[in-house]
Amino acid sequence: MQIIKTNSLTKFFGTTAATDNISIQVELGEIYGFLGLNGAGKTTLIRMLLGMIKPNNGTVMLFDKELTSKFNQWNDIGYMVETPSAYPNLSVRENLMVYYKLRQLNNPLEIDFIIEKLKLSKYKDTKAKVLSMGNQQRLGLAKALMHRPKLLILDEPINGLDPEGIVEVRNLLKELSKNGSTIFLSSHILGEVAKVANRIGIVHEGKLIKELTSNELNDQLIKKVLVQTSDNARAIELLKSISHKVALSEDDDIEILDGKAIKQPENISKFLVEQGLPPRQVRLFTEDLEMFFLRTIRTKA
Amino acid sequence: MKRQLLALQAELMKNRYSRIVWVTFIAFALAPIMGGIFILIIRDPEALAKAGGLAAKVRAMGFTPSWNSYLGVLTQAVGVGGVLVFGFVSSWIFGREYSDGTAKDLLSLPISRTRILNAKFAVYTIWCVCLVISNLLIGLFIGTILQLDLLERIWWGLEQYFITTVLTILAGLPIAFFATWGKGYLAPLGFVSLTVVIAQIITAIGYGPLFPWAIPALYSGAGGEYKASLSTLSYLILIAVSVTGYVITISYWKFADQTK
Repeated sequence: MQIIKTNSLTKFFGTTAATDNISIQVELGEIYGFLGLNGAGKTTLIRMLLGMIKPNNGTVMLFDKELTSKFNQWNDIGYMVETPSAYPNLSVRENLMVYYKLRQLNNPLEIDFIIEKLKLSKYKDTKAKVLSMGNQQRLGLAKALMHRPKLLILDEPINGLDPEGIVEVRNLLKELSKNGSTIFLSSHILGEVAKVANRIGIVHEGKLIKELTSNELNDQLIKKVLVQTSDNARAIELLKSISHKVALSEDDDIEILDGKAIKQPENISKFLVEQGLPPRQVRLFTEDLEMFFLRTIRTKA
Repeated sequence: MKRQLLALQAELMKNRYSRIVWVTFIAFALAPIMGGIFILIIRDPEALAKAGGLAAKVRAMGFTPSWNSYLGVLTQAVGVGGVLVFGFVSSWIFGREYSDGTAKDLLSLPISRTRILNAKFAVYTIWCVCLVISNLLIGLFIGTILQLDLLERIWWGLEQYFITTVLTILAGLPIAFFATWGKGYLAPLGFVSLTVVIAQIITAIGYGPLFPWAIPALYSGAGGEYKASLSTLSYLILIAVSVTGYVITISYWKFADQTK
């Protein structure tokens, strides 16, 4: 079942296309990571998914229903858009109580449960205005999760969290996904998205330029064996003689790009020793998501 | 109805500990206190002689140490000061969601956007009514201490007081639009300041009865003889502007792109 489906979603602000023909599908139980630079159109898309901004063209389907003013499944959706905000003079508990009433919930224990779950118990009577940024982020997540939504839409959910908080949120998202919730999240912390998302969409200048699963991502990341020897020029000649694809990098490393070497880098080491040129260093390099992301948007540009 | 009540409860909860509530009550309470000072000055010829400009103002108002005069001052405070204070209340209730950054959290909920705004309009009305009742009680307390002369036509005086309240509340409704459109306090506060200034000028050139934000003051008697120039058209203009303000606030909140 497709929980989110957008069809050629386009939004102009003046003459600038904030989103340009974006079509995505997010399946039940999936964690979809949406990546893009600042101003790429991530938040505009999220606001359109939530009915806050009306597209100039295209449609949004949520739970197989078109998003119109008649859409009434908002209690199946939890969201956090941009910086989390709260009523500064109300405590954590009172802030949640406001949304408890607006969502017409009928089990007050849900508030205590989510406070506990997001480790806010110590601060439940603390006014929101004195909370740290990390705890404000937790409060924003608590608001989004309090009603146990089937779909979570989160804009930069780990902003401001300390490393322990990041791990907690990562585990929480994985747990929610395991229990059947669908999660759509945007983040500029790309490595973090890679750790949780099943599928990733890359948006640049309003356009969806790449969409791939985590397995496909793994296949597309550049991998190479990097070697250093006391005589790189000779080593290159030797490696070429046994049909390896070899080049010298800007950092004066020998780069071996072929799959045979990547699968068994120890054979490179053995070969060079046999040729009387023992390597100083042999290591397997894998491109990280940041590099992949930048390479992708540069290639498309 | 249950949903509307829940929205109202949520809205009341948001304002529970807001200092701004007490600031408006204290600011509005200056009127009965000033009225009390007027009475003390009038009763003491020595103080009246020393009071200078204030004494001149008191004489110009035809102020006497009686309940009628005192209630008249309170009514004028609602008609003139109310436009400012009620406008401030409206700016706060509607503008705070943008200043606190919470507006976006109210837009995709199972409760309709109209109900959320209706709850805000209800809180605005409750807040303003509490302000005028508070001033009336403070006035009653000060008047009793000062042993004012017997009040004649008490019901007429109270009727004027509460009709002025209704007119002033109506004049504050369109301010909500400027808060939602301007996405904060600045636009509505600027608009309120502008209406106060323009009301003075328009009234001075004789068109006050056609300017919605001058009508409550004129009705309260603050404009003296200009009260007689108010006609059915004046009230219709005020009602039309208020209804328009309400409708465009709801429409803007429902249909405009919400980017903040």
